[in-house]
Amino acid sequence: MGRTRRILHIAGNDLRIMVGDKVFFFWTLAFPVLFIILFGILFKAGDNAPPVAELTVVNLDQGRWGAYFVDKIKAPGITIIPAEAEPAAYSRLLILPADFSAKIEARRDQALAFKKRADASTKAAARVETRLYQAIARTISELVLYGEGDLTKFLDGHPELRELIVVKSQFPANTVTVVPSGYDHSIPGTTIQFIMMMVMIYGGISVMEDRKKGILGRMLFSPLSTGELFRAKLLGRWLMGLLQAFMLFAIGKIFFRLNLGSVPLALLVIAVFALAMAALSVFIGSVFTKEDLIIGMSVLLANIFAALGGCWWPSEIVPPGVRVVARISPAYWAMDALHRLTFFHGGFSDILPQTGVLLALAAVLTVVAGKSFRIRD
Amino acid sequence: MRRLALVLVNDVRRHLKAPVAILIFIALPLIMTGLIGIIFGPQAEEGRLPPITVLLVDNDKSLVSKLLLGAFDADEMKKMFQVTVTDETEAGKRMGKGKASATIVIPKGFTLDLLDAKPVTLLVVKNPAEQFLPDVVEEFVNTLGVMLSGGVQAFAPEARGIRAILDKPVAAIPWDALGPELGQAQKKVVAAVKYLDPLLIRLKAEETKAAGAKAQLSRTDIFSVILPGMAIMFLLFIVQTLMRDLLSEREDGKLRRMMTTPLRPLELIGARLVGGWAMGLAVLLVMVAFGSLVLRAAWGPFGYFLILGAVAAFWTAAFFALFHALVRNRNQAGALGAPIILAFSLFGGSMMNPEVMPKAFRAVGILTPNRWFIDGAALVRDGRFPLLSLAVLLASGLVLLALAVPALRRRTSV
Repeated sequence: MGRTRRILHIAGNDLRIMVGDKVFFFWTLAFPVLFIILFGILFKAGDNAPPVAELTVVNLDQGRWGAYFVDKIKAPGITIIPAEAEPAAYSRLLILPADFSAKIEARRDQALAFKKRADASTKAAARVETRLYQAIARTISELVLYGEGDLTKFLDGHPELRELIVVKSQFPANTVTVVPSGYDHSIPGTTIQFIMMMVMIYGGISVMEDRKKGILGRMLFSPLSTGELFRAKLLGRWLMGLLQAFMLFAIGKIFFRLNLGSVPLALLVIAVFALAMAALSVFIGSVFTKEDLIIGMSVLLANIFAALGGCWWPSEIVPPGVRVVARISPAYWAMDALHRLTFFHGGFSDILPQTGVLLALAAVLTVVAGKSFRIRD
Repeated sequence: MRRLALVLVNDVRRHLKAPVAILIFIALPLIMTGLIGIIFGPQAEEGRLPPITVLLVDNDKSLVSKLLLGAFDADEMKKMFQVTVTDETEAGKRMGKGKASATIVIPKGFTLDLLDAKPVTLLVVKNPAEQFLPDVVEEFVNTLGVMLSGGVQAFAPEARGIRAILDKPVAAIPWDALGPELGQAQKKVVAAVKYLDPLLIRLKAEETKAAGAKAQLSRTDIFSVILPGMAIMFLLFIVQTLMRDLLSEREDGKLRRMMTTPLRPLELIGARLVGGWAMGLAVLLVMVAFGSLVLRAAWGPFGYFLILGAVAAFWTAAFFALFHALVRNRNQAGALGAPIILAFSLFGGSMMNPEVMPKAFRAVGILTPNRWFIDGAALVRDGRFPLLSLAVLLASGLVLLALAVPALRRRTSV
């Protein structure tokens, strides 16, 4: 058996042992899919966003302007729920006071109470608030245009304000043509997070156990060098990461219509990222001697990397300082590359910097892991 | 009883000798809470969102497009938007790389068309990788559009005059004849000021909470909300680790040797259970102390929280006693333990606010200790006694204990 075949044989055997473990499928498939579904629902964007934002309106106005103003708020994305008094349960509430009309007719300024529940959807609140500002702008524009005389007769008849400016939105040329779904955001993030967790925990523990049980020592009785054994272990963990990504992407494609842009390039990014994680797992497994310690360290690193790297939430809402710090996370580079492929239909040159960083990281970690790799405690 | 105490003290000493794993599990919830708090906590002056990067392509370069640009120059807008004026090619390049949330394109002839009261289109090119900020830009432009439409129509005759001026060379403009026109415009401005300064209708927005109004969550509030969920998740991990002795001693033959001493199985089981409970509670209190000192998290009346923590630690110890009685070996325990804890945490609200979860997930969450602990901690934070959470955790903990003790006795008998 040649050297390459021996390495492949050991790596394949490691993979077979892992895949043979039923719990492996919980970690690689069942649990990530749960995450994908949950975060996919939470990350819903654009046309998948909550179809209507509710606005409860308490119109106490004793004149006609209250109803006129409420009419201006109406829009396809907003449901107005009339109420006679402030209800106990609401998401957003607008109160038109009893003297709303009287103040307008007297040309006296007023502030309308707009209450937002802190725990309700921020996006829906923003949509409603913007619509309220637009309604105010329309009403005041009409008053400026036609409100010279007696305002008590204003509503008896006046021309409508013409909306001269139409706002059209689109995505940049050569990028997506449909609004990305929540799953387009959640699947890459979950895949990256679980590759880190799975490869570091499973890969690290198995390296540590093989060493402690003397399996690594016994393997050296075969025609294998320590370097070849290291490469075999590295390859086994790399294949594990690749297998996991392949399964999650396949499920994403089949069940969630995942848009990855170029699939081969996405797999290239994952391959380089998984290589870095495989090296890290061998390093962790070589340095630590206790299972709990490996689990703790892996959970700590994977969670920090995932949180910083944009696997849990869109990086756009993260403060600029945190975005800079995020560059220390390998997940950041992988997510950035996957975003370029998914949302910008990027090519190889677009992901070259990110892939380069990941490749350099993989090289450094491989050297460090190789130096730390031990056959016996 | 003395033998039970001896085993217990010995267990505590043993675990204190190799505390790194436990320390990591104590640090993890604090680090995660700190990270989430830094990211989502309101910043004192910057508002809740980071500044939105906007590119502006002005193909019109005339009066109204300048007005539009000026709208982004107001102090409030400067805090919200970071606007860069650029050309279409550069904007396309930068948007293609995802370097901005949106590009606003003002078309050529925008001012002239608008002054002629012709419909015009503003284009907002949105970053497809972002989910929230491009929509904010689009809605803002929509609002500006409404205001500009109103303004142009209010000053239609003046607009036509300006239109005529824009078409002519400076020398051909009849400056002397503009006096009455300007006078008319001044009257309109004065009339408009009645509605605009101060604004006739304003919004007074405030954030409220269901139970009593509160202005806005502070960063400390966010830490206080997140930390209990993280603490219960990692309490589960820690107690699982501590109670793994029940299995490992059976596997490596220590149990057999211990049973040759006058130690009774029930005493050993009792020591393990009390150990798991006491060390779990101690670890929880360490997290509370660090949370209070480092993150300034608020817990509410300490006595109430202590009772809740004690009952949660008891539940956890009873659960893992039963779990270790049922699994066959350490590998199985390691393989099943973490998934169970993560499932508890996912459905129970440790990983996200249960209120944003789908209904089915929330229903499953009721079956987890995380949910009851988090709900109980929220009540304690509001100064209320968490009676329901305590009752559920205590009752279910006692059931688990009743199942665990006989099962462990069978496994402990040699």
